[in-house]
Amino acid sequence: MALLELKNISKIYGELKALDNVSLHVDKGEWVAIMGPSGSGKSTMMNIIGCMDKPTKGEVLLDGEDISKLPGKRLTDIRRDKIGLIFQQFHMVTYLTAVENVMVSQYYHSMPDEQEALEALGRVGLRERAKHLPSQLSGGEQQRVCVARALINHPELILADEPTGNLDEANENIVLDLFRQLHREGTTLIVVTHDPEVAEAAQRTIVLEHGRVAREVVNENFVE
Amino acid sequence: MTKRRMFLRMVTASLLRRRSRMLIALLSIGIGATILAGMVTIYYDVPRQMRAQMRSYGANMLLMPAEGETLDSERLSAALQKLPADALVGASPYRYVRLDMTSRQQSFTTAGTDFAEIQKTSPYFSVEGRYPEAPREILVGREIAETIGVKEGSDMELTWQPTARESDGNPSDDRKPGARLAGSAKGFGDAMVYVTATLDNEAKIAELTIDASTQTPEYGGRTAEDALFLKQFIGKALPLEMGDDVDALSGATVTSTAVVEALNTARADAAVQPKTTRYMVTGILVTGGEEEGYVFMSTEDLQALTGEDALDVAELSISADEEQLNAYAEALTGDGVQARLVKRVTKSETAVLGKLQALVFLVTVVVLILTMICVSTTMMAVVSERRREIGLRKALGASDNSIRGEFLGEGMFLGLLGGALGAVLGFVFAQVVSVNVFHASIMFRPLLLPVTVLVSMLIAAASCLMPIKRAVAIDPAIVLKGE
Repeated sequence: MALLELKNISKIYGELKALDNVSLHVDKGEWVAIMGPSGSGKSTMMNIIGCMDKPTKGEVLLDGEDISKLPGKRLTDIRRDKIGLIFQQFHMVTYLTAVENVMVSQYYHSMPDEQEALEALGRVGLRERAKHLPSQLSGGEQQRVCVARALINHPELILADEPTGNLDEANENIVLDLFRQLHREGTTLIVVTHDPEVAEAAQRTIVLEHGRVAREVVNENFVE
Repeated sequence: MTKRRMFLRMVTASLLRRRSRMLIALLSIGIGATILAGMVTIYYDVPRQMRAQMRSYGANMLLMPAEGETLDSERLSAALQKLPADALVGASPYRYVRLDMTSRQQSFTTAGTDFAEIQKTSPYFSVEGRYPEAPREILVGREIAETIGVKEGSDMELTWQPTARESDGNPSDDRKPGARLAGSAKGFGDAMVYVTATLDNEAKIAELTIDASTQTPEYGGRTAEDALFLKQFIGKALPLEMGDDVDALSGATVTSTAVVEALNTARADAAVQPKTTRYMVTGILVTGGEEEGYVFMSTEDLQALTGEDALDVAELSISADEEQLNAYAEALTGDGVQARLVKRVTKSETAVLGKLQALVFLVTVVVLILTMICVSTTMMAVVSERRREIGLRKALGASDNSIRGEFLGEGMFLGLLGGALGAVLGFVFAQVVSVNVFHASIMFRPLLLPVTVLVSMLIAAASCLMPIKRAVAIDPAIVLKGE
């Protein structure tokens, strides 16, 4: 059953077609990687999937609902309720501690719950570092806090933008292991990357070039 | 944890952990609030202070006997009881009489008053020498001092020449056979001419003595000695008609007329004995006004001389605005006295205070506008500095209203802190200004604290409106672009 379906979407900025008649189907529980060089339309696609932009043409079905024509306020609601975001730059609120950063996500979603937030940090192995400010955490630790933050509201879809782009190999593996765990729990994952190793961890890789889907590779070595 | 607690935690963390920038905003609100609180304190407190200062313009209320009534010290103090003690700056009683300085053939208007009170009601009086303190010490106006050449420390002999009071009946009642009569009238130069006469058993003039020593010796002064002039009076019944009964001494018409007038108003001797006392001049009074033509002595000295406790007027200096003064005047009027405002003084006081308050008000408004600009600029910088964080919050699902709430919350929290700081510093500021400029300390108004805090919060909130508009417009997608 499809969680996300892009139907012939295009995003046109004046002369430039950032996305040109792209279609994509992601099943519930699936782990998909999106690859492509700079300017291939990855970011645009990510923004549209993340409910932060709308396509010029085409339909976006999330959980069966067409979100491509919704007003910004409704998009915010959907993003908050259904999507967990992970960024390349980590993006933490610099003046809040690790646990508080996780709680910010709860705060906008429903109700802050420090205990639950601490458990989420425990899951990413940072229970001990909960009271640290971002400046006192390493890059890998910060990204793990972001993973905790993304999963705290049990989103249907986790959307990660170059999640390992700024990490060393050890931390990259920790994050990928976390993704594997989430996948096993049934979370749908879409990971945008240009790191082939990260892409290979997914079940399926979509390669974008010049705003179109150039090819689709199924990872035969994928281990459940 | 509730949402509200998380909200407070975020807002306070933002302020406490991002100190430098927030310190600037806090400082600008704090300074704004300080000046606001200070100015408001001055606005409300200084008129009170200034009013006391302005009392140096002189009395602003006069207390006089009501129509057909008389004023005495008892009635005055009864009236003053009706005024609140802290409003009354001073009350100077005045009794004016003419006293003669026989040795100089002059007579002067003399005011009996209270020197301690005069210094309060007329602080602009300046004395070369000192104010009298002991009995029989007097002040002499500069004009008189220059005319007769008295100085600080000089002696002056002053004579009270009573005129019969109407209440004792008519002079004709006293013209009995064998009576001794005494009288006085103003002669040349307003100086007094005194007469004494003895009546025969037909109540006609048997003997006449004239004291014209205050008159010019070679003219009016001759009336006392000129035998032909004196002889005309003998054997005539009072009253006399000038020209019919007696002829004026040539070259001394005014004095001659005074003699006739003195005889016509003369009363039985006992009631009208002149009284003379020697006084010491302790100072020369310089005011630039008509007071320089007066002699001043204490009420007690004047009473001792004239034997009567009577006041013509009392000058009151009251610290109050025009409206209150009118209320006081109304309260004081009655029981034989009437009160009147000295409009010239009250009007100019009101005008000066009004202008001062307008100025303070204007400065306050300007400071508030400057504070708003400063806070607004700082918050604007805060928004640009936190673009990513705002984008992140929006990406995490913050609605526009949440973003507005958080910034407004931060702004108002700053307003709260800055306002509380400002209320305290503002009082200190007002105190310093007041002590240095107005030489008076200021009253703390408890209401000022919540008012300053509230106004500061409102100003901080208003200053955040533009920055918030900018914050809301930030695109959450900025967090995704991986640079």
